[in-house]
Amino acid sequence: MSPRLRLTLLGAALAGLLPGAVAVIGRLPEFGATIAAYGERINAIVPAERHVANMVSAINFDLRGLDTLGEEFMLLAAITGTVVLLRGRRGEETTDRAMRLPGRAILPRSEAVVLTCRLVGPLLMLFGLYIVVHATVTPGGGFQGGVILASGTLLAYLGEGYAGWRDVVRSHWLDAMEGGGAFLFVLCGLAPMLTGAAFMQNVLPLGTFRDLYSGGLMLIENAGVALAVCGGFTQLFLEFLEETRESAGPEESGEDSA
Amino acid sequence: MSVLIPLLFLITAVSGTAIVLIRDPSRQIFAIAANGIVLTILFTALQAPDVALSELAVGGAAVPLLFLVALMAVRAGTADQESGGDGR
Repeated sequence: MSPRLRLTLLGAALAGLLPGAVAVIGRLPEFGATIAAYGERINAIVPAERHVANMVSAINFDLRGLDTLGEEFMLLAAITGTVVLLRGRRGEETTDRAMRLPGRAILPRSEAVVLTCRLVGPLLMLFGLYIVVHATVTPGGGFQGGVILASGTLLAYLGEGYAGWRDVVRSHWLDAMEGGGAFLFVLCGLAPMLTGAAFMQNVLPLGTFRDLYSGGLMLIENAGVALAVCGGFTQLFLEFLEETRESAGPEESGEDSA
Repeated sequence: MSVLIPLLFLITAVSGTAIVLIRDPSRQIFAIAANGIVLTILFTALQAPDVALSELAVGGAAVPLLFLVALMAVRAGTADQESGGDGR
C-alpha cells in the first residue's frame, strides 16, 4: 500500500467520522457545567444507603462492583501474560537470589540517596496503607494505595540495591498476593450467596458514616484489590529487572523483534 | 481559578507534545513522568482527587519506572551482543 493510498484512506475515514464528531461535540455539556443527574443521584443515595463518604469507592466496590471484578481479572490476566512472556526464556523456576549481568559494573550510590530512600520508603509505605484503609472515607482506595505500596518497595531497590531488594521481596509471595487478592474479591461476591443474598450484595454491617469502619463488604473487596495491585505491580518490576540481569543466551538470535 | 485551568491545559498540551518531539528514549521517559505530574495537578484543579491520585501513582511513578527498566533490559541485550556488556 503506497503512502498516497494510505493518506487517501485516512482522509476518507476522517471525512466519514467528521459529521458524527461534530454532532457529539456540539451537544457536550458546557465546560464546568453542573454535575450530571447520575452524579447527583449517587450523592443523594450513597451516604444514606451505604454509609460511605467517598462516592468513587462506593461506585467501584458496591454499585458497579461487578465491573471492578472484571477489571481485577483484566489486571490479573495482563500481569500473568507479561510474567509468562518474560519468564518464557528463563523457564519456570525462580530463585530468590539476585542475579547479575556478568561484566556490568556496580554503580556506587551516594549516601544522600540511601538516606533519602531509607527515610522516605517507610513513610511512603505508611501513606499507601493509609490510602488503602481510608478507601471509604477519603479519596483513594485499593488501587491507588496498592500502587503507592508497590512504589514504596521500589524505593528499597533504589536505596539498597538489587540484591538487598531481592532479600526482602520474594517472588512467590508476590504471586500469592496477586492471586489471593483476586480470589478474595471473588469470595466477596460468592460469600453473600451462601446467606441467600445476591452476588456481591453488601450483607455485612455497614458501620457508621465517615468512620474508618464504613461500607461493610467494600472494605474487604478494597483490601483484595490493594493486595492484588501491590503484588502485581511489584511482580512486574521484578520480572522486568530480572530480564536485565541475565546475559542474552546464544539461542535468541531470531527473537530480537519480539 | 479562571487563569489556573487554561494555564494547566496549556502546560498539559506542551508537555504532551514534548513527549512526541523528544527523540531520545530515556529523556522521553522523564517527559512522560513530567506529563503525568502535570495531569495530576490538572485533575486536582478540576476537583477529581481520586483520578489525580491514580494518575500520580501510575503516570508519575509506575509507568516511567517500568519503561526505564524495560529500556535497561533492551540495552543490556544489545550491549551484550555488540561489545560484551557495556550497558548500565
